[in-house]
Amino acid sequence: MRASRQQKSILVNLVTWALVLVISFPLIWMVVTSLRPQTELFQIPPTIIPRSVTFEHYAKLLEETPFLRYFMNSMVLATATTVVVIAIGTLGAYSLVRFSYRGRETLAAMVLFTYLLPSVVLIIPLYLMMVKLGLANTLTSLVIAYTTFALPYALWLLRSFMAGVPEDLESAALVDGASRMGAFFDVILPQALPGIISTALFTFILSWNEYLYALVMVNSDEVRPLTTGVMNMLITSFNIEWSLLMAASVMMSIPLIIIFAFLQSYLTRGFGAGGVKG
Amino acid sequence: MKSTEIRLGGTSLSGVSRRTVLQGLGMAGLAAGVSLPLGSGARAAGTATLRWWSPQASPDQLKMYQSQIATFEAAHPGVKIAFEPTSDEGYPAQLAAAFASKQLPNIVTHLPSFAAQNYYGQGLLEPMDDVIKAIGEDKYFPGANNVYKTSDGHYCGTAIGNTAADMLWLRKDLMQKAGIDKAPATWDELRTACQKMQTGGIFGAPLPYGLNSMTSLIFIGFIHRAGGQVFTPDLAVAIDSQATYDALDFYKSMREFCPAGATNYSWGESLTAFVSGATATGIYAGRVLANVTAQNPSIADFVTCATYPTKSADIPAWTFNDFPSVFIPKGVDNLAETKAFAAFLFEPAGYIPQLHAAPGHILPVLKTIAEDPAYLANPIIQKYKAEVSLMSSAAAAGNNLGFETAQHKPNLKANEIIASNVIAELVQRVVLNGEEPKATVGDIAKKLDDLMKA
Amino acid sequence: MASATRAPQSPLEKRYARLGVLLIAPTVLTMCAVIIYPLVSALYLSLFSIYTPTLKGHWVGADNYIRVFGSREFWSALGVTATWTVGTLAAQIVLGVGMALLLNQNILFRSLARSLVLFPYFVSTVVAVLIWRWLFNDLYGILSHLLIAAGIIAVPIDWLGKMPNAMESLIAVGAWKFFPFVVIAVLARLQTIPEQLYEAATIDGAGPFGRFFDVTLPQLREVLTIVILLRTIWDFKEFDLIYLLTGGGPVNNTRTLPLIVYQQAFGLNQMGMAATYAVAMMLVMLVFMLIYLYRARRAAL
Repeated sequence: MRASRQQKSILVNLVTWALVLVISFPLIWMVVTSLRPQTELFQIPPTIIPRSVTFEHYAKLLEETPFLRYFMNSMVLATATTVVVIAIGTLGAYSLVRFSYRGRETLAAMVLFTYLLPSVVLIIPLYLMMVKLGLANTLTSLVIAYTTFALPYALWLLRSFMAGVPEDLESAALVDGASRMGAFFDVILPQALPGIISTALFTFILSWNEYLYALVMVNSDEVRPLTTGVMNMLITSFNIEWSLLMAASVMMSIPLIIIFAFLQSYLTRGFGAGGVKG
Repeated sequence: MKSTEIRLGGTSLSGVSRRTVLQGLGMAGLAAGVSLPLGSGARAAGTATLRWWSPQASPDQLKMYQSQIATFEAAHPGVKIAFEPTSDEGYPAQLAAAFASKQLPNIVTHLPSFAAQNYYGQGLLEPMDDVIKAIGEDKYFPGANNVYKTSDGHYCGTAIGNTAADMLWLRKDLMQKAGIDKAPATWDELRTACQKMQTGGIFGAPLPYGLNSMTSLIFIGFIHRAGGQVFTPDLAVAIDSQATYDALDFYKSMREFCPAGATNYSWGESLTAFVSGATATGIYAGRVLANVTAQNPSIADFVTCATYPTKSADIPAWTFNDFPSVFIPKGVDNLAETKAFAAFLFEPAGYIPQLHAAPGHILPVLKTIAEDPAYLANPIIQKYKAEVSLMSSAAAAGNNLGFETAQHKPNLKANEIIASNVIAELVQRVVLNGEEPKATVGDIAKKLDDLMKA
Repeated sequence: MASATRAPQSPLEKRYARLGVLLIAPTVLTMCAVIIYPLVSALYLSLFSIYTPTLKGHWVGADNYIRVFGSREFWSALGVTATWTVGTLAAQIVLGVGMALLLNQNILFRSLARSLVLFPYFVSTVVAVLIWRWLFNDLYGILSHLLIAAGIIAVPIDWLGKMPNAMESLIAVGAWKFFPFVVIAVLARLQTIPEQLYEAATIDGAGPFGRFFDVTLPQLREVLTIVILLRTIWDFKEFDLIYLLTGGGPVNNTRTLPLIVYQQAFGLNQMGMAATYAVAMMLVMLVFMLIYLYRARRAAL
């Protein structure tokens, strides 16, 4: 009995890790390719282990291309979207969970519905609206556009987190003479903080990775984020440098790797809350 | 939600949206306390920023543009120039967005001539007559600006260069090994040559079969090289002809000599396939020379080019020249400075290094430059003298969909026809799906007709 | 939640209700501005013929709709969209549930394994596409060469340029990119299933498969319902991955509805037709969503 359990455990370990390696192979290959000289890529058949390792592609991206500008644009864009969405969403979610007024249930349902709208339906009028407002081709227009998908998503997650904060805590604060907003800042916010962080991370990642709106709404290098900037810069009709592309891909993923390394538990928490409670 | 009034006749989707948005954002903005950079550049008082777009933006070219920009800025205090790359596949969408939002680039270079004609036809471009005069009409090769003539007697753009975009590139070493003594001149010879040279992991050709602009543009050349045309001189659809069936037939027969992934090839992949040595022939413009020199010097001594073969010896060659253009959108700020800059691009001190950044790729349109010893002194132009001269003459006699022959009226819909990928679709349906050519060409002819009427 | 259902009566409760409305106001205003206004505009635009660069156009009424619903393009794109959605979703669910079951076991370096598995979901679609296009490369791609080395194929495969390869590759990349969503949601639920249920099932003589079908699956039903609903909607409206990986080709075999909208608006400069396609697409989604919600509710009763 004991031996077979051990065997089973080894088998499970082997199968799981084999699968994990297959799934992460593309990412490993991305890193490996980014470290090879371009000439080594033109070998048939390709070699698995690079013969020489070079960081020239990273240096080239940083020194000779607008990569850093795109990176900064993405940073500003994702941060601004996150701040705006979390600010609006936290208040909204608190209201939906803890207050009663006419139309509240309808509103909650509407949130879910808007969350399901496809971007392509909104993109054209939204684009025309930015033209009208004189915001076309600015980072602000992208922040507004990203709100269309980020806000409903954030509300949905935040609502589950807020609902998880025990009502007794708030009632106790109110009995002690706190105002409703006082209780919100002193009690609810600290309690829901892990959930808010989790939501903020998701919003940040969504905004960091967005492509379609960025493709249509901005057409100047000054405000182009990484996703469209890298594609525009490196997939050209005069050359396709895979090493450079892979180096760019690695560097685009750095913020995500940092989030993953230090804040992973927040990400899985978000899924747990949203997924199970709906 | 407040009732919104949407007017469309006068282009505006107006309404109270602005206030609504600002209310929502104002709240958020206060809460967030962030001020967002408004994007479109540092417009400090007294400085004019000119935006310059081009799809020709390889690192070497960028360097030269930057030095041209620096010279111009030094001579024109208060003017800043921001270079922004676009792409062959992406420019229709990007320019559509730019025109719609009035966030215009001041100057656009290196787009095909038909793009200029197309936008001018919609009233979106400034006539370039002044700029051509400033450069000096007599400096151009005769007829260099003919493709830019408009129906109202102006020029919608001017040529910044010529490209012979569909030259047949060959490897002399592989030809020798296969016992081929001269460049193929007919389709049958080309096919035989590809067959002989396709050995040891090397493919015969990197023809594009992808659903993209390259496939459309390249295949139009094959129709002409079979003696056909896409439109009549009066711009009636003429694609449904024996020549098109022949071209499809040949293009299909070449599939077995192209790499598996040619079904997704565009310019970049096709070029890289030849330069990396994976294919024995290539189809591209002069950039091959610079790329081979830099990336695969081991084959550089064996590379040569010829005009692309025609179906039979009695059909004249037809070279695809997209006539890289310079144009200025209507309604840009600082028009005078923009025009000055456009003319400045042609001054020898800057124009020659710009051409040298991709030697043999963008060929001079000014005869004063083509004869200039400084231009001819470039080592690559020296080394491949015969190739560069062949490309120059082929390009000068070249054509494209907006200008199929000298007799054709300018086709103002060429831009949308290319962007719609209908011709690439024809290639894919017949070659990849094995659909019956006659019926498919008929179907495509109808689509072209719809596009012309849209 | 229960406290909120009563109608407010006392002055304090009325004040609270006002505060509640005040707090939700930014959300409602933002939603009106960035979602409802564009939605209404899309409906309105779809009644015009508009040239994108000039934004000039004229009223055509229902003509756009008649053309869209009467065109082969729309129905074939709908078919393509359905194939892609069903295919990739099925792969995501199978792979996701399987992986979640494995990761729920006691394995070595479990948290590292989880991170690696989750990463594709968080990586940008642009990055994912670049990586896969490089893996799929016809001349230098490692995938074909590994298969050749293993003796499975003789010449490189055209992964993206012909059918059915293009659709299969697309579905596979979609599954790779999005299955971690299923893993996390299912994993979270698995950890809450009481151990006693498994013990009871074991005592009743159920094997591993019996335990999975009798205990695990019923427990997962609720979370899977939500996961399937969300992923169906997201996959149906997916643009980036398909646009960047195949661009809709070969011919139009992977051209889904969102790609048509983009092409109409910015390739062909037909803004009105683009809006019509967008609205038509939304109608389709709405119908499926209502059917799904109705059936899910009935199943729950």
